[in-house]
Parts: sequence; C-alpha cells; structure tokens
Amino acid sequence: MINLFSQGRRGCAAAAFSILMMPLGSQAGVYDLTVDNVIIDTGAFQKKGIGYNGASPGPVLRFTEGEDVTINVTNNLDEKTSIHWHGLVLPYQQDGVPTISYDGIKPGETFTYNFPIVQSGTYWFHSHSGFQEPDGAYGAIVIKSKKREPFRYARDYVVQLTDKHPHAGARIMRNLKTMPDYYSRQQQTLGDFFDDADKNGIGATLNDRMAWGDMRMMPADVEDLQGFTPLINGKAVEQNWTGLFKPGERVRLRFINSSAMAYFDIRIPGLKMTVVNADGNNVQPVKVDEFRIAVAETYDVIIQPEEDKAYTIFAASMGRSAYGRATLAPAEDMAADVPELGKRPLLTMADMGMDHGSMAGMDHSKMTGMDDPKMAGMDHSKMAGMGAKPDPFYAPGSGLMPKAENGGKFLSYADLKAQKPLYKFRKATREIELRLTGNMERYIWSINGKKYEDEEEVRLKFGERVRFKFVNETMMTHPMHLHGMWSILDTGAGKWNPIKHTVSIAPGTTVYTETEVDAPGQWAFHCHLSYHAASGMFRRVVVEGSPNLAQLEKTD
Amino acid sequence: MINMNKLAKAISISAFSTVIMLGATQTWAAGSHSGSHGAKASIGEPGKAGKATRTIEVKMFDNYFEPESFAVKEGETIRFVVKNDGEFVHEFGIGTTASHAAHQKEMMMMMEHGALEADKINHKMMKMDMGGGKMMGHSDPNSVLLEPGKSGEVIWKFSKANAIEFACNVPGHYEAGMMGHVRFKGQLGTGS
Amino acid sequence: MKSQIIAFAWAAMVAMVSLATPASAQTKDLVTYGLQLEELEYRRGDESEDLLVWNGDAFIGTDKLKLRWLGEGEYDTNSTAFETLENRLVLQTPISTFFDVKGGVRLDTPKGPDRWYGTFGVTGLAPQWFEVDADLFVSENGDTSARLDVEYEFLITNRLILTPSAGINVAFSDDLAIGIGTGVNDIEAGMRLSYDLIDRALSPYLGFVYERKLGRTADFAIDEGEDIEGWRAVVGTKIMF
Repeated sequence: MINLFSQGRRGCAAAAFSILMMPLGSQAGVYDLTVDNVIIDTGAFQKKGIGYNGASPGPVLRFTEGEDVTINVTNNLDEKTSIHWHGLVLPYQQDGVPTISYDGIKPGETFTYNFPIVQSGTYWFHSHSGFQEPDGAYGAIVIKSKKREPFRYARDYVVQLTDKHPHAGARIMRNLKTMPDYYSRQQQTLGDFFDDADKNGIGATLNDRMAWGDMRMMPADVEDLQGFTPLINGKAVEQNWTGLFKPGERVRLRFINSSAMAYFDIRIPGLKMTVVNADGNNVQPVKVDEFRIAVAETYDVIIQPEEDKAYTIFAASMGRSAYGRATLAPAEDMAADVPELGKRPLLTMADMGMDHGSMAGMDHSKMTGMDDPKMAGMDHSKMAGMGAKPDPFYAPGSGLMPKAENGGKFLSYADLKAQKPLYKFRKATREIELRLTGNMERYIWSINGKKYEDEEEVRLKFGERVRFKFVNETMMTHPMHLHGMWSILDTGAGKWNPIKHTVSIAPGTTVYTETEVDAPGQWAFHCHLSYHAASGMFRRVVVEGSPNLAQLEKTD
Repeated sequence: MINMNKLAKAISISAFSTVIMLGATQTWAAGSHSGSHGAKASIGEPGKAGKATRTIEVKMFDNYFEPESFAVKEGETIRFVVKNDGEFVHEFGIGTTASHAAHQKEMMMMMEHGALEADKINHKMMKMDMGGGKMMGHSDPNSVLLEPGKSGEVIWKFSKANAIEFACNVPGHYEAGMMGHVRFKGQLGTGS
Repeated sequence: MKSQIIAFAWAAMVAMVSLATPASAQTKDLVTYGLQLEELEYRRGDESEDLLVWNGDAFIGTDKLKLRWLGEGEYDTNSTAFETLENRLVLQTPISTFFDVKGGVRLDTPKGPDRWYGTFGVTGLAPQWFEVDADLFVSENGDTSARLDVEYEFLITNRLILTPSAGINVAFSDDLAIGIGTGVNDIEAGMRLSYDLIDRALSPYLGFVYERKLGRTADFAIDEGEDIEGWRAVVGTKIMF
C-alpha cells in the first residue's frame, strides 16, 4: 500500500480505484488440490485408487456465498484427469467435463479454476474422467450462506457415502459388458423357488418365473453392482466414523451420496431427522424416520439427540446387499447397536411399466388443484388409521416402494417443497421427452434409444423454460443429472416445487422437471450411475444464445 | 379473627394446586386441544390486558424468532406483540415440550387438510367442523398463528416457574429451531 | 476359396485393430475385450480314452462390432493326437435385442486332413434363458454342414450352478476324408456342476458328458473300428477374464 502511495498521484488513484472495485465484504479464496494415486483401506481390503491431496475421500472445501474462488488443481497421475463441481452454478468452462467444458488436465499440469460462488449449501466434487470417481476421486463442498439460514444448529458434519468395490472401475465396466449379471449375487435360486412354491404354490411360482423368463429379465436385478463395501467418510463399518455431540444440541448432518452405483436408505434408530435441505437448496422442513438418497444427491438433516448415548447412522443399500455405518456419540470409542440389513427387495411387474393405467399419474401441469381424483390420499374419510401413503414417485405396486423400517415416515419427493423458490413460477415454453432406455443383456444404457456417441445433442435456447419428461422404460432406477442449470422437480406443489440438480427416476415411472435455461454454453446431462453414463446414457446439452442476445431479441 | 387475605390466599392456592394436578393429568392424556383450562394451568394462564407489566416484541422470521429467549418473573403478565416478518406462516405459542408436540400433530393435520399452507391460512377451512366434536381452527389464548406481514397479540400470565417454551408448531419449524426457552428470574413484586 | 477366406480374416483383424481406442467414460465407442473358457476339462471314459478338452473364446470390440476368436479342441493324452482342433475367427454384430449374427472363417487341424470353412450363424439368449448358438458351415470343397448348441444355467445357489448343455451336428453332404456322412452326424449332451470360486473368473466344475455318432457318420466310424457312443466323466474349470 505504501509503495502505491509513494508512486505519486497515479499510484494513489490506482490504489483507491482497486479498493473501490473490490465488492464490499468479498473474499477471494485460493485453494490448492492435487490429484494423486492413493491406497484405499476398507479394513476388508486395500485397493489402489485415486484421491485428492493424498487421500480418498478428498478434503471438504469450505467456501462462502459471494466468494470468488480460485482452485489450483495439480494432476499427479499418469493419465488425464478433471474435476467437476457437482451442483455448482458457474461459467461452463469451469464445469470440469472433458470434451464439453475443456480438454481435461494433463498429467503434471496444474489447471486453475476461477469462478464466483452464487449459492450456499452442501455439494460435492469429483473427477469426470474415466472411472476415476469410482476409484476414489471425490470430495465434499460446504458453502456458508451469506444470510441467516432458516434453521439453527450447534454443529454440523459432512456424512459422505460411497460404494467402494474391490475391482477397479475400468475392470467392472469390462466385466459388466461381457456378463451383465457378473456382480449380481442375489439372484433367485432353487432355494427361492421352493420357498415361493411353499408360499404361493408350484403353479403360481412356475408362472412367475416363466413370466420373467419370457422377458429375459430378473426381478432380483435391483443393483447392477454388488460386492461393494459401503464407506462413510472413507470409513467402513468396523472403522466406524464417529461424530461427537453434546446431548440436547441440534446437529446438522450433510449427507452426500458419492457412490458409483449404490442408493442408500438412511436411518438413525432412536432419532427422527428433519430434512431442511436437498441438493443444496433449502426445503420447508419435514420430519422423517428414514430417507433414500440416490447417487449424487445430497440431503441435509437436523437431528437433536437428547440422550447421553451413542446413535448409529445406518445406511442400507437399496438392494439390501450391504450396509454402511457411522456413529454419533457424546464421546469417542462409543457404538450403538447396528440393525439388521433386512430382506432384499424384488422388482414387480409394476416396475416393468406393465401397468399402463398408472403411468399417467404425475403430470401436475394438467391437474387442477385438490379436485384431481388421481391424487391419492386426499379422501379424508379413509385417512384415519391408514398406513403411510404410497410414494407417488414409484410405480404403484413397485417392489422398490420405500417403507420405513420402524414403521414411521419415509421421505418422498412429494414431501419436498422449496423454502425459497429461485425462479418465478411460469408455464414451460416447451416440452422435451427423454425416454430412459437400455438393454441389460448387452449392458447398453441410452436415452431415446441412442447412446452418447450417436451424437444426438439436446439444443436449448437461452431464456426458455424447458419441461423435461423422463419416461423410464427400463427396470432400473436412474439418477439424472443436468450440469449448470437447476432441475425444478414437478411434485405438484406449483411454485413450491423443489429445486434439485439430481433427480431419481424409478422404473416404470414418468417424472417431469423444469429448467430455466439461464446458463450459456454446453453442458453434460447424464445418468449418474457411473457404468450407465459410460455405456451411453449421456447427452451434451447446447444452450444457444446468451443474456446479451436475449436482451436484443426482447427489444426487437 | 381470621385474616381474610390469608384465607383467600390459602383457598386459592389449594384450589389452584388441585387444578394444576388435574391439569397435569390432562396434559399427559394429550387430550383435545380445545380442552380444559386445566391443561394450561401448568404453563400459566391467559393474562388480562390491564395487568401486563411489560410488552415484549416478538418478530417471526423464516424459521426463527427474535428474541430467541426471554426472562420473566413468576406471576408476571406479559403482553407479546408478535409480527410475522417472514414469507411463511408462523405461530407464536406458549407451552411445554409435550404440549407443543401435541399441537404439532394438530397443525400437521391442518396442513394435510389444506386449512394451512406454507404461506397462507385458509380461514374458511379453519372453521370446518371435523365431526366428532373436533374443531379445526386456531383460536387459543396462548398462541397466535400469523400469515406473512400480519401482527397479533398474546397476553399471558406466567403464574409459576416451569419448563416453558415458546415455539412455532407449523410442521417442521420446531425441529428447525423455531423455539426458545422462557427463563424465570425471581418473583413479581421482588426487586429484579 | 482358401486364399479368399484367409484374406477376409486379415481384413477383419486390421479393421478391429483400428477401432481400438482406449476405453474411458463419457467418450465415444467404448471398446471392451475379454477371454473366457467355457470348458477346460479332463474327460475320462470307460474306454480308457483320456481327453483334455477346451472350448473358449476371446473378443475385442464395441457394441456395434466385435471380433471374436473361438477355439475348441479335444486332445487325446494317450495317443497324443488331437481328436478335434477347431479355430474360428468371426465378426459379430447385433441383429436384435438378444441376438447377434456372426460370420467368418473356421480352420480345422485335427489328426487327419485339415479343412477350411466359411461360417455364418446366430448367437444369443432365447426366452426362458436358453443360450443358443447356431452356425452354418461351407467347406473349401463346397460341403455344407450346420451346428446347434443350447445351454441353460440353473442356479442352485448364487455360486453353485448346474449347467445342462446339448449340441447337434448335421451335414448336408458326405465328407468321407474326415468321416462325415450326410444327415445328423452326432449329438452331445453334458451336465456340469460348477462353483464360482473367485468371482466369475475361476469356477471349477465336475460333471459328465454323453456323445453319440449317428447315421452315416456312425457307419463310417464303425468301419474304422471306432466307438460311436460313450459316457465320460469330466472335471475342469471355467475361466473368465
């Protein structure tokens, strides 16, 4: 400063100018990340993998809303890498997807990302190159809000889940291509046949097996990839990640599912959770006993443990083939009982989309408020003493219908309402249908029957509001993720529709999201199941036009 | 000569404590909200406007109160001027953890039935008779339910020191932290 | 004819090598490869014929086009001669959701005369989970023949798998030099019980196989003083990379 002033009036002016140019209260944080080869130790096995700053999971990056961040990423691998900031709104060149945002980061190179933080909440980051993400390249992002948040808590923890597999990602892809049920070890066996025959009779069981056999599909095919070890914050069940609390405190848990393929059903026996944030956006608080977190989603919950004892955070994989466990306790080295995993779910014919009468259900733009006869649960005379309403985001009769283990409330997308809508509520300017398709036998996953390399871009115009209609014609659940722009999930709540970046589409269902196209450039849009994205369930989205152009068009 | 004051006091105290005991059992029974005054005896009673010794301004935001706690004297009557400065419907209610929990269930029902929305109150539905003697509606002296921008008043006498909380029982708000504790500091009439 | 077949094989290989770009997520044309041995076993029958038998294939390619090498053989350890030695090089491409069509060349070099064939057929998964392989062969001398193989995997547990299999060979003209007569040549039926020891990479099994020559082929065999049918016990392992 002194030097500037001593350079005379010019220097003085320059100094004054630069002070004036700095937005009041803005920070300009500089963060350094290295991408390294690491060893991941799950206790059960050790595996070479990829990590950040020498570890997997990578560090928790802490930003502040309004900050201008500079992130220097140094690639210490022998192959190209990239980092995508999942859920962040930023200029497309900073989005980190090779061939769409940039070229990737070469071995030995340091790439500098630079962008302003325009949001707050819980997010994550991961490699978008090869199978580096399943091999361990992921970390968390926590962004402090510049305004007071609509909920209070004394402390918070990142609870980041992954499905670590003893095989490397590239090998898993190859095996799935050669033999799609390579990793399915929960298939129906002779023993199952006899159990079912006992329950339902041989005739019915034979009919059932033959109905599926005709389609050459397996009802046990809930998880493509089994044999993984769930990790919470990098720790397996035995390693027991522990978060401390003082009894009576409110604690915020930032759940992030950074898995390659696994969905988890999360509960904390003995504690109810109040969901206050989903995919980084605040939602009107809803109290639940259990929730399902899809791959790439985040959910922030507030809990208030009153007793001076340990609680178990239990994460059961959706296919019930494995579970992760962490502990919340008043002191270290404590543990609570770990619940049983439960029976594996089986898909039903409803998940095959066979029940066409129910497919019409979710188009709320055509529904007229409360008079709609399709909206189940509004008949009050029957409400007393009724069990939980079935989740409308699953096919009626679906084998994946979530049910809280303790009989309590299981979170549904229908429960999510934005705390503060980001956009004015208006009608969509056009609708784009995206059929989620695939061929399990060949392990080909696609959109509208076409894979990524068959070059069908999605072209959007800056300023429009697009309504995406996802029709899931497969029997798998797909978490669809659009980069760079928010996906407003149509839950029938009108202006309160929740704002997400990753939307899970259950088998045999149709789900609508709307996007205000306000980010110029080109963006990735794909199923976030790693091996589905790699086998073709991926699209490039090109946004034509820009703010300036839109302005000109408006004034014409 | 019997001291009439003392006698009156004794009678009212025993009557009061009987009522409190009845009230306590009522509370544990988690009876209907529009129930007996006995249920409220443990948290005080509706105050008379004239007796209010001071006014506390309570502002409601999304989703928290300002102030986050306050102190009262045993026996004090306070006039709460409540303003909803948030964008959502909020409640300011005085009760115990248990009474709040019961009230939360009722407010959840109001929301499911459409009488209460996140940012507005459907007054017509609020007056609906749910049958079986149960009324929807929100007209208790210990609380006020306000739409964004509206103001309301609660005049309350904090008769006896107890574990009293003020809270918003709109579904989810209590868990998000929209509640506070009433601290008791001495008795009315004593210095400070 | 032979040179044309060889030329085709080379062309196919060159085409595939040019397709080989490193596989990575979110880029185009995922290239995969693999090697598997469906049978690698030791067969013993009551006629003291000890055979070492294998049946495997390797492939490289994309969803649209794969290059496959299929090989099978039977090696008699006592007479140190190959009863069967077949190698095929085919290009394979999908024609429907569950079926591929494949075409290429086949070279037989067992004991006795060698044979080149052109081959064309389908392979895939039929309803009710039957794995089907059907091929048509045309030899360098113009003799046509066909083969059908069917297999079914029966899960006793998720690791213990019972696999019945059946195969039939049919010829549409005689090929006396190698003992083939018009009509159904032979049938083979097998039953193998395997256990997935290491993922799907190593699955040892045991079982039995029944083979029988039929019709004119059987007559030729009898003339040569060979057996036309036999039961054999087998022990071996499946391998998959």
